[in-house]
Amino acid sequence: MTLSKSQYVRANYQVNATPQLKMLSDDQCENILNGALEVLERTGAEIHSEEALEIFKKGGCWVDGNIVRFPSHLIEWAIRSAPSRIVISNQKGERTLFLEGQNVYYGPGPTNTYTIDPFTGERRRPRKSDTVRAAKVIDALPNISYAMDCGTVMDVTPTLSDVHAFQAMLENTNKPIIHWGFGIDQYQDIIDMAAVVAGGLEALQKNPFILLYSESSPPLRHSAEAIDKAIFAAKNNIPIVYTPCTFAGGVAPATMAATLVIAVADSLVGLVAGQLVRKGSGFVMGGLISTMDMSSTILSYGAAELSLLSAGLTAVARYMKIPMFSTGGCTDSKVIDTQMGLEAAFSILVAGLSGANLIHDCSYMEYGATSSLELMTMDDEIIGMVKRILEGVKVDDEHLALDVINKVGPGGHYLAEDHTMAHFREFWSSSLINRLRYDGWKAEGSKTMGQRVKEKTQDIINNHKPEPKPDHVLREIQAIVDRAEAREANKQ
Amino acid sequence: MPNNYEELSQSIISGQLDRVKSLTQQAIGAGDNPVDIINQGLIPGMSVVGARFKSGQMYVPEVLMSARAMDAGMQLVKPLILSEDIPSAGKVVIGTVKGDLHDIGKNLVSMMLESAGYTVINVGVDAGPEKFLHAVKEHQPGVIGMSALLTTTMLAMKDTIELLKEEGLRDRVKVIIGGAPISQDFADEIGADGFAPDAGSAADLCKKLLA
Amino acid sequence: MSNYYEELSQSIISGQLDRVKSLTQQAIGAGDNPVDIINQGLIPGMSVVGARFKSGQMYVPEVLMSARAMDAGMQLVKPLILTEDIPSAGKVVIGTVKGDLHDIGKNLVSMMLESAGYTVINVGVDAGPEKFLQAVKEHQPGVIGMSALLTTTMLAMKDTIELLKEEGLRDKVKVIIGGAPISQDFADEIGADGFAPDAGSAADLCKKLLA
Repeated sequence: MTLSKSQYVRANYQVNATPQLKMLSDDQCENILNGALEVLERTGAEIHSEEALEIFKKGGCWVDGNIVRFPSHLIEWAIRSAPSRIVISNQKGERTLFLEGQNVYYGPGPTNTYTIDPFTGERRRPRKSDTVRAAKVIDALPNISYAMDCGTVMDVTPTLSDVHAFQAMLENTNKPIIHWGFGIDQYQDIIDMAAVVAGGLEALQKNPFILLYSESSPPLRHSAEAIDKAIFAAKNNIPIVYTPCTFAGGVAPATMAATLVIAVADSLVGLVAGQLVRKGSGFVMGGLISTMDMSSTILSYGAAELSLLSAGLTAVARYMKIPMFSTGGCTDSKVIDTQMGLEAAFSILVAGLSGANLIHDCSYMEYGATSSLELMTMDDEIIGMVKRILEGVKVDDEHLALDVINKVGPGGHYLAEDHTMAHFREFWSSSLINRLRYDGWKAEGSKTMGQRVKEKTQDIINNHKPEPKPDHVLREIQAIVDRAEAREANKQ
Repeated sequence: MPNNYEELSQSIISGQLDRVKSLTQQAIGAGDNPVDIINQGLIPGMSVVGARFKSGQMYVPEVLMSARAMDAGMQLVKPLILSEDIPSAGKVVIGTVKGDLHDIGKNLVSMMLESAGYTVINVGVDAGPEKFLHAVKEHQPGVIGMSALLTTTMLAMKDTIELLKEEGLRDRVKVIIGGAPISQDFADEIGADGFAPDAGSAADLCKKLLA
Repeated sequence: MSNYYEELSQSIISGQLDRVKSLTQQAIGAGDNPVDIINQGLIPGMSVVGARFKSGQMYVPEVLMSARAMDAGMQLVKPLILTEDIPSAGKVVIGTVKGDLHDIGKNLVSMMLESAGYTVINVGVDAGPEKFLQAVKEHQPGVIGMSALLTTTMLAMKDTIELLKEEGLRDKVKVIIGGAPISQDFADEIGADGFAPDAGSAADLCKKLLA
């Protein structure tokens, strides 16, 4: 007779469907948020845009020169007004990124001034062809969910680096794109190009596959470029990632809580601007939050505090029900080495456990100065492993398998059981991590992780064929690039 | 009926025990030569499985499902053939050494060998030198395979080899060893003929040694 | 009174502002030459700080405490000396370029330069080429330093260099640049005279360029 548990019902039975990490309790989140509200009401923020000052004034803020002080009720209104969920499509219009709840998606990072060539190993200036390569690798890697440019391309008209990088991405991947721009002109170029792909501006607004990206200058300081982009995105009804780069000890106090207060306050400034322009416009809270290394003065991309603070900020974003753009898969290391692997793995795991919606910078080496497609390839593997951990442990009759345990009995093995057959594929199987026996590993050339990562990256670049876009779409995109070139030439 | 054999092979590869049984039964009912059923239907399927496992396209539980299906087919065909006519690649005596109760690895090797066409005599776990000696005398295998999981029990392998020498049987049988702590160096040290790092390569090793 | 100076230096190193103030006041009261107080008390302390920071024995906040203490001592001594007699390693105009509001890096460099004995004219953030030009005309510095944190604003550095050329002033002043996205390559590309990767090395760079 087999053991069956189907004869009873249960009460008050709780399940952890996934692992649990909550860096801050709701009370602590409220405390941080109240801190940010107090800072914005008492200290205020410095705003360097006339248009933004006008919008804030009309919206009920106290404007004193460049300093804007925000009444708490206005911010609370903006928090409620912003959507708690934003759905981002791929370039074929299929809804793919559900930025809601604690859904987690990983992707690379933007605007590095150097890149490591995956063929020569040389650290050099990024070219447009590097963003082509990056887009191919992004397109091929299953755990990379969206594209960023992986470096500011420097072999094109300097003020159109953003536009050219966007073209390179459109031509080589169909995944969603998060992209930056020098200014409003370039933002317009980018939206126009995206509209061509989406089949019109309205289609793009209804089903966006892009998120615009803007960075303020903490503490509590917002350049015209940064805040005007938030306003532009809201006017055009395209969601924006507004991300202050807050680092403890430098542009924030050296304590974690205070650094979170500054980061939340600076995000809220962008949020309020967007909501005042268009109630309900899509807003994703950033972003980069870590410590300043007190010896080298770098903003660390590998610090323990990067993970600690990012998970804290994610908790506050979740408390406010605003989608979160976090950081992981990055390193301060200069080369493909062990430091890279461990810093990337820790930050990917903690960011994943924290439930941040978009986790970027899975390509950042050297405290963000250099991009590496090899790191992205390795991160893809780490993300696979982390996703398995995030699946948690299922506990039910089928997964407890008491009948199977009884059938096999003491001293037996489970390798040939139907139950094993039905479930062993739930094990995460690696593609880069080597688990061969020694002889097998030796027979395959005794390769290190770094070598395998390099080979896989090169193989993708050489052989991956992204699904091409129709010729007329490519021509229209080129026409927009040409238009931008003509405009910039006129400015000279 | 070559089409049936093709399908039989496919059913072995996909590990469909019931399908293998019914196809084998059909072939028998149609009056096929039982040896053909084995050589053209069952074994070719298992050869593909072995190759796929080696190249990482199939996993252990899938291989065992195939082996189980193959065995079910064999059980139907075997009674129809004189035992000396049953195709066999050779005889292998296999066991886990004295003091060691681990048999997953040994059984895995055993199934892989059987699937590759070997006749396997399994002497079980905790098998001392005398047990191996007895099996060698009784079955006259081409190969004996010893397994050990523990560093504390692997030394017992040498005792079996020494006993075979004393009995003057060492030249009549090839000795292969395997298990987590075993290496080629250890095989050389104790005078074994071969070492298989995993279940997949044990069949290849036997083939090489018996060639 | 060399003991004073030794203790004054030590107080600078440990960043004890109040102690530096009272020791400086004591030295002044004892009738010491103010230039000696600077050259034998304040600057030697700050030199040690610079060296220790470079070798990783001191952290940025500690260096800034020392710089603050040094500055407090200087403020007491300066009124006693004719401006032209105040020891200065040279004049540096410093600012963050147009479109960029980040000034922590620039201010850090500024403090390090002042501590190393340079007279620093800080033109602030969002400084366009004209602002740098005006400061060069007004103060006739040996060096101008430009800072940028963003890849989107670093390009503005070139505009300042071009304007200095147009005005025929490029040869009269050394141009150094720094900031997160800046590199020696970029400095070479836009025709700057030097690049400092961090605040500690900016003073060394100025010393080298003005030698």
